[in-house]
Amino acid sequence: MMDALFAQLSVLGSSAVLLFGLVTLWRRSSAAHIGAFAGQSVALAVTAAMTALFTRDWQLYAVAGMLLLLKGVAIPVLLTRMDRRFGAERELQPYLNTSASLLVGGLLVLLAYVIARPLVALSQLPTRTGLPLAMGLCFVSLFVIISRKKALTQVIGFLMLENGIALLAVLGTYGIPLIVEVGVFLDALMGFLVMQIFVYQIHETFESIDVDQLKGLRK
Amino acid sequence: MNVVSGYVLELAQSALALVVAPGIVGLIRWMKARLQNRRGAPCWQPYLELRKLFAKEAVVSDNASWLFRAAPFVVFASTVAVTFLVPILAVPLPFDAVGDLIVVVYLLLLGTFFLALAGLDPGSAFGGMGSSREMTVAALAEPTIALAVFALALSAGSTNLGQIVTRTMTDPGGALSPGHLLAFGALFVVALAETGRLPVDNPATHLELTMIHEAMVLEYSGRYLALIEWAASVKLLVFFVLLSNLFVPWGMATALTPAALALAFITFLVKLVALAGIIALFETRIAKLRLFRVPELLSVSFVLALLAITSSFLWR
Repeated sequence: MMDALFAQLSVLGSSAVLLFGLVTLWRRSSAAHIGAFAGQSVALAVTAAMTALFTRDWQLYAVAGMLLLLKGVAIPVLLTRMDRRFGAERELQPYLNTSASLLVGGLLVLLAYVIARPLVALSQLPTRTGLPLAMGLCFVSLFVIISRKKALTQVIGFLMLENGIALLAVLGTYGIPLIVEVGVFLDALMGFLVMQIFVYQIHETFESIDVDQLKGLRK
Repeated sequence: MNVVSGYVLELAQSALALVVAPGIVGLIRWMKARLQNRRGAPCWQPYLELRKLFAKEAVVSDNASWLFRAAPFVVFASTVAVTFLVPILAVPLPFDAVGDLIVVVYLLLLGTFFLALAGLDPGSAFGGMGSSREMTVAALAEPTIALAVFALALSAGSTNLGQIVTRTMTDPGGALSPGHLLAFGALFVVALAETGRLPVDNPATHLELTMIHEAMVLEYSGRYLALIEWAASVKLLVFFVLLSNLFVPWGMATALTPAALALAFITFLVKLVALAGIIALFETRIAKLRLFRVPELLSVSFVLALLAITSSFLWR
C-alpha cells in the first residue's frame, strides 16, 4: 500500500518537474523562464524530500534542502539580476518556432520512454515509472540549449539539464552519496558562475546576448 | 437497474442541463464582474435575454439560403443529443450503449460545422472571417480532444463514458496518475478554445475584429439567435460536466435511490459552481492571446494529451 502511494507520488512529482521544463518551450520572456526554473527546482526538492520520507534516508533530506536553497532561491535570484541588466530582451526568433518545438519536445519525451523501457523493466524500485520522465527532461533541456539563440535561455536549459540528472539520480538509485552530491552542486554553481561571466562578456561585446551574433566574429 | 426509471432519469438530466446551462453562463459573468469590482448583472440575466429573444421577430438576410434557417436547429439538436450521452447525475445509464466518447466529440463538432456554414451563408465579411477562424481552432482542437479522451479510455479499457466514470470511482488512485492529470489539463485548454472562452475568444466583446463565435452569429436575430446562444451555453455545460465527472466523479449516483440522486444533484451543482469560479478567475487574470499565438496554445495542449496517452499506456 505504502509502495503504491510512493510510486504514484513520485511519478506525480517527476511529471511536475518535466512540465516545468516544457514551459520553457512555450513561453518567451526570460522572467517566465526563470520562474519555470525556480518552480522546477522546488518540485524537484519536494520529490527528493518525499523520497527521503519514504526511504528514511536523512542524506536525501540534506540534498532536498540544498536543492531548495541553491536552485530554488539563489540561482533564480542571480538569473533575475542578470536579466534586469540586459533589459527586457525577448526570445524573438528561436531556430524553431514554438509549435514545432513543442511537438519536438513531446516526441523527445516519447523517445525517452522508448529508451528507458529496459531500464524500467530491470528496476525493482517503486520510483521506476518516473525514470523516463527524468530522461525526457534531460532531452528537452538539451533541445532548449540547441534551439534557442539567447545566451540566458541556454544557461537556463543547462540548469534544467542538471535538474534532470539530479531527478534521475533520486529516482533511479534513491540519490547518490552526499559527498558526491555536494561536489555536483559545487560543480553546477561554478559552471553557472563561469557562464554568467561569459554572458556578460558577450553582452559587452555585442550589446546583445543573441549568440547568433557570434558568427560575426568570423568576418 | 430498472430500465424505465433509467430512461426517465435520462430525460430528467437532459432537461436539467438545458435549464441550468444559461444560469452557469450568468454566474460566470457575475463572478467576473465582482472580481473586476463591477456590480454585474444578476445570474439569471441570460434567462431574461433568452425570453426576450424568443419573443422578437427574426430578421433574415435576403442572400441567406435554407441552410441559414436550418443551422440553429441542427446546432441546438446536436447539443441536446450530447446531454443524453454524458454522465450528469448517475452511472450507468441505458443510453451508455447508444454512444460513447467518440460520438459525443463528433456531435459537438457537427454543431460547430453547421455554425461555421451558417456564418458563411449570408455572405457577410464578418461571418466568413469568424467561420474561417472557428474552423482553424476546431481543426487544431479536435486531435487534442481525441488524444485526451483516448488517454482516459486506455486506463478504463473502454471508450464508454459510463465505464470510464465507474472505473475512476472504483480506483481513486487512478485519478491522481499523471495520465489523468495531463489529460485534464489538455481537455481544459481545449474546452476553453471550443466554447470560445478567454485566451482564445473573448465572450464579452461584440463587434471587434478579433471575435470568433460572435462573428459567426452576427447575422442571427430573434429566436434563431436565442437557440444558438442557448446551445452555446449548453455546450459550455457539457464541457464542464466532462471535466468534472470524468476526472472527479465522486458524488455521482450509482443506484437510482432518492437519497443518492439528491446527493448527486447537490455535488453536481457544487462542481459546476467551482468550475465557473475557476473560469471566472482565469479570465480575470489573463488577456486574450493574439490569433497567431492560438495554434501555439493548442499545440501545448496537444503535447499534454500526447504525454497523457504515453504515460497511461505505460501505467497499465
